[in-house]
Amino acid sequence: MSSAAPVLELSSLSKTYGGRRGGVRAVQDVSLSVGAGEVYGFLGPNGAGKSTTIRMLLGLITPTAGHARLWGEDVLKTRAGLRRVGSLVDGGTFYPFMSGRKNLQVLSRTHGRAPADRIDQLLDEVGLGARDGGRKVKGYSTGMRQRLGVAAALLNDPDLVILDEPVNGLDAAGIQEMRALIRRLAAEQGKTVFLSSHLLHEVQQVCDRVGIISKGRIVREATIADLLHQDDVLTVEAAPLERAQAALAERWSATIEGTRLRVSAPRADTPEVVRRLVESGVDVFGVATEQRNLEEVFLSITQPEAAHV
Amino acid sequence: MFDVLAAERLKLARHRAAWFLVWGYPIGIVVIALIAIGVDLVRGDPPKPGDVETAAKWASDSAFAWNGPASTFGRYLVAGFTAVAFAGEYGWNTWKLVVPHRARWALMAAKYATVVALIYIALALTALLMVVLGYLGGVATGDAAPEGITIQALLQAHGRGALVMLAPVLLTVAYTSLAAVLTRSTIAALIIAVVIGTAEEVFTKFAPLLALQARDLVLFLYHVLPGHHLMNLSAWIVEGKAASRPFLDKTVVSLPWGTSLAALIAWIGGLTALTVGLFQRQDLN
Repeated sequence: MSSAAPVLELSSLSKTYGGRRGGVRAVQDVSLSVGAGEVYGFLGPNGAGKSTTIRMLLGLITPTAGHARLWGEDVLKTRAGLRRVGSLVDGGTFYPFMSGRKNLQVLSRTHGRAPADRIDQLLDEVGLGARDGGRKVKGYSTGMRQRLGVAAALLNDPDLVILDEPVNGLDAAGIQEMRALIRRLAAEQGKTVFLSSHLLHEVQQVCDRVGIISKGRIVREATIADLLHQDDVLTVEAAPLERAQAALAERWSATIEGTRLRVSAPRADTPEVVRRLVESGVDVFGVATEQRNLEEVFLSITQPEAAHV
Repeated sequence: MFDVLAAERLKLARHRAAWFLVWGYPIGIVVIALIAIGVDLVRGDPPKPGDVETAAKWASDSAFAWNGPASTFGRYLVAGFTAVAFAGEYGWNTWKLVVPHRARWALMAAKYATVVALIYIALALTALLMVVLGYLGGVATGDAAPEGITIQALLQAHGRGALVMLAPVLLTVAYTSLAAVLTRSTIAALIIAVVIGTAEEVFTKFAPLLALQARDLVLFLYHVLPGHHLMNLSAWIVEGKAASRPFLDKTVVSLPWGTSLAALIAWIGGLTALTVGLFQRQDLN
């Protein structure tokens, strides 16, 4: 096992259901890698292929093509990597006829025994406590199951935590607690987190880098900052507009829209844009930055037609 | 592996299905025995001289509980518990909870071991209760156990019962687990197991009659399917001789125990290997 290998690496990962010809291609040629200590957001609309990708990563589904590797080892060839992984898939599915604590005991045995006090400590950490931990899971709310799911994911003190839609079913306070927990995992405990979500705000709050998946393909991979700024637009009020457009054409793409000029440039380029306009004899009346939020960026990538509505 | 077994025991031992289908044996036997003793006491009939049992018969009767899972109805109960143990994980959606952490074959092996072990523990408990209640009942009703019953005789009778039960239990567990992995449904697995178990029983019983219509085919199936081999192996263990079923055309199927043992090992081993192989390759969505 190479220490230099990324914690998680997907290369040309594909999954087709129902035979290669005429089947449903759930995931196509997905490649990405996540380094140690990173919080990676796996973003995509419902049905984009996020859960199928995670299931392949956890060895639950066999890929049709490509590889999923943990610390450089193919998950289908060796389980050594999976022993260092904790996961929450499908919002915490548990044995409904057993208490939360008993469920964790079963998992602890399956993993290979966590320390005796670890279960109570985790129940407290996720806000279930002794009383709720002793109740049967069939009486749990969605949020409680989700919390128990997180406790289960952390049971074996994993190096990599894979969380599939971890805030589903949580109330506002629960979401905030979950966000803080994810941050703590990375910042204080040095864990790598792979977080799948369709909630943009969530990803924006906690992730260092995101991969956007749409219709089974990775369509964009970047840091949150790059993603937010790469499509910035400056709106310039100036006269005459034709001269202004010509003055900027060498470096930026600019289009005249009514009485304004829209320049595809990041906010940092504003002084340079103004300087060039003034040097070209253009009168500048105002410059405004149009910064798109993650939702607009996400929609423009995954559903271009919806982004313009 | 011991940890996986312990996890499986935690899951199954106190599940409602275990209470109904496994622990039901000892509980049921206590209830029935107490009712029988009560009825005897109320009626107050003194034992007739002809009723006196020999020690060997008393020991053999006390091992009656072991026959339960080998009967058609008993095999339905075994199938029900197996269906819950194997298909339950699909219904509860919990395979994805445990599969990333252990090799799939190990999880399957733990299920087989736990299901069979729990059934055996329940029956051993039932058998023990039958001995104790049989003795106490005899004392209470004045129909005391005959003299000369030894621990060795009891162990022999019960060991034989446990051995006879092994093949039908393993076979039932094998085809029910395959149905569970294929259908991913407890109800569907149970229905398939009940249909197979009943069909096997009916075929074995009615084969001499069916042979009038298609003798060669029926004889072939009689030799290949596990029904007659279960009967034959049981006869060898209990009576020390082959089970002979004369067909209406005077054909007698009489097989050595080794043949039946090999046939049953092939059936049980084949079905189990198929189940584990399918599970190894199965996508768990």
